Amino acid sequence: MAELTTLARPYAKAAFAEAVEQNALVQWSDMLSIATQFAADDELAQVLVHPSLTAEQQATALTDLCGDKLNQAGKNFLMVLGENKRLTLLPEIVAAFEELKAAQEHAVDVTVASAFELTDAQQETLSQALKNKLQCDVRLTSEVDQTLVGGVIIRAGDLVIDGSVRGKLAKLAEAMDS
Amino acid sequence: MQQLNPSEISEIIKKRIDNLDVTSQAQNEGTVVSVFDGIVRIHGLADVMYGEMIEFEGGKYGLALNLERDSVGAVVLGDYKSIAEGQTAKCTGRILEVPTGEALLGRVVDALGNPIDGKGPIESNTTAPVERVAPGVISRQGVDQPLETGYKSVDSMVPVGRGQRELIIGDRQTGKSAMAIDAIINQKGTGVKCVYVAIGQKQSSIANVVRKLEEHGAMEHTIIVAAGASDPASMLYLAPYAGCAMGEYFLDQGEDALIVYDDLTKQAWAYRQISLLLKRPPGREAYPGDVFYLHSRLLERACRVNPDYVKNVSGVEGKTGSLTALPIIETQGGDVSAFVPTNVISITDGQIFLETSLFNAGIRPAMNAGISVSRVGGAAQTKIIKKLGGGIRLALAQYRELAAFAQFASDLDDATRAQLEYGQRVTELMKQKQYAPMSTAEMGLSIFAANEGFLDDVEVNKIGDFEAALLSYANSEFADLMAQINVKGDFSKDISAGLKELLEKFKATQAW
Repeated sequence: MAELTTLARPYAKAAFAEAVEQNALVQWSDMLSIATQFAADDELAQVLVHPSLTAEQQATALTDLCGDKLNQAGKNFLMVLGENKRLTLLPEIVAAFEELKAAQEHAVDVTVASAFELTDAQQETLSQALKNKLQCDVRLTSEVDQTLVGGVIIRAGDLVIDGSVRGKLAKLAEAMDS
Repeated sequence: MQQLNPSEISEIIKKRIDNLDVTSQAQNEGTVVSVFDGIVRIHGLADVMYGEMIEFEGGKYGLALNLERDSVGAVVLGDYKSIAEGQTAKCTGRILEVPTGEALLGRVVDALGNPIDGKGPIESNTTAPVERVAPGVISRQGVDQPLETGYKSVDSMVPVGRGQRELIIGDRQTGKSAMAIDAIINQKGTGVKCVYVAIGQKQSSIANVVRKLEEHGAMEHTIIVAAGASDPASMLYLAPYAGCAMGEYFLDQGEDALIVYDDLTKQAWAYRQISLLLKRPPGREAYPGDVFYLHSRLLERACRVNPDYVKNVSGVEGKTGSLTALPIIETQGGDVSAFVPTNVISITDGQIFLETSLFNAGIRPAMNAGISVSRVGGAAQTKIIKKLGGGIRLALAQYRELAAFAQFASDLDDATRAQLEYGQRVTELMKQKQYAPMSTAEMGLSIFAANEGFLDDVEVNKIGDFEAALLSYANSEFADLMAQINVKGDFSKDISAGLKELLEKFKATQAW
């Protein structure tokens, strides 16, 4: 079985190429995320995999729900997905699309988890430092995780910088064990 | 009441805290997507290298073996039951390493170098990567020193040199392991360090080997790397490489080492299992495409290196190093044309064939002298054995031919009859008990007795007794002569005369 990301990649690439051509990256991004949110709904999810419905019916159910949020290109895209029975891949397609979009914009999504709420000044310092390190624009989102005890964990895709007290304690425990 | 561990001494704890590096480093992280049969698929880990160690939650480690577009396939080293879908997996940036050094001698370790003999931690300061590229042509030197196995039949007909790869091949229960164990026992006092890699064996067999080696005082110069039948396939696959890395330490130090892989068939099975689970395409006998490379890269690491290499690697001057390999392959029903046996036969510098029919006929070691060969050992053979042993091989070859022919002939001429009788005696003489390796002088004396016709008037079924009596007589009455042969290994007129005198006196005065 091929992996979901592998299956999603050609669709994301096609959508991205179309969006770039029409110069409508933001619009496509919105369309895809709305469609994904609807598709995530429990009842609709059942419709999307229902065996007695044709591919067209399934795709139409989704496009109708989205209504005028979708333009013709977006509707066509969902129809193609429906025909190929890939509507359930929408979340992966969106993720891959956003990755391509970020690469195009030289930006990277960074999540910073900290034990306490970060001040604006701290966030600014962090994003400047990360900008220097990663050599691209940083879109920072922060979250609070009290189990870290102190410090921060920075995640940018696969890259993880663990500067939390919890991580250091874990290292210490490992060193004592060995 | 809670017990205090030896590792809980304040000084040790302080040192560990001092050594701790808490600076945060950027790490590559991924998510475990699936876990099955010891294989883990990980999403992410874009920067992982082939063969890199991957750290899972809970201090478990894996080895990255399949790098695909969207995922990484890894084998878990050890128990995989605590690894679950959704856990994080981190790159470590390290290749798998095992501890090496003198401290390992006398110990039983697993494929990762952890002690499993209950004798406490191993105090070794050095480590080596398990996979290493074999020394190149510039670093090598010819094989010209013998590695004595202590078996008359092997040392006279298929001699093994230091740095050679000699395959021991045969069906189950033909004495393959016994031969290798005896070779290890015979290295006692020679300075040759031994590594015994047990792959996929019963724990009871491994325990037995350890006990026998201890009984014969051979554990002091031996490291046992054990990956038992109950260990995961990843450990069976890694054990030979780990053992080889431990043996290479001695090679690098300008010493001689012997490594026994018992047996490589099981390693190939383990690798086949891993490969199939990683969904690599199966080839002949369902082995993956790189099963030849699996063994060739391992056995290529056994070699003799010149002093320049030793100096460059470890700084020790004026010494050559060697790693002799005795790989073992188990055949099914004597079929040497199966995939793995043919591969390993073609890689090694010769093979010792052990046959069930010979074993059952009471000829032990059950070596088939006709098809067993050593491609490089002849240059390394001790002079006296080389001189005397030449006739043995010939006598046995002629005997086999005649024996088949003589089954149909009722009346034989005297010459043929003499040849047959001589062949029978030599066959009988080549028998040797387990755990009783012989010195060069003892071997020389036995073969000399056969060559010079001293066995002609000894009944065939008395040959064993004759030899035992002869050797004990020689060791007590002619100790000087025996020591002289053992030290020098030369064959001169004086020695020939000395041996003749010994045999004449023995036959005149002793009974057997």
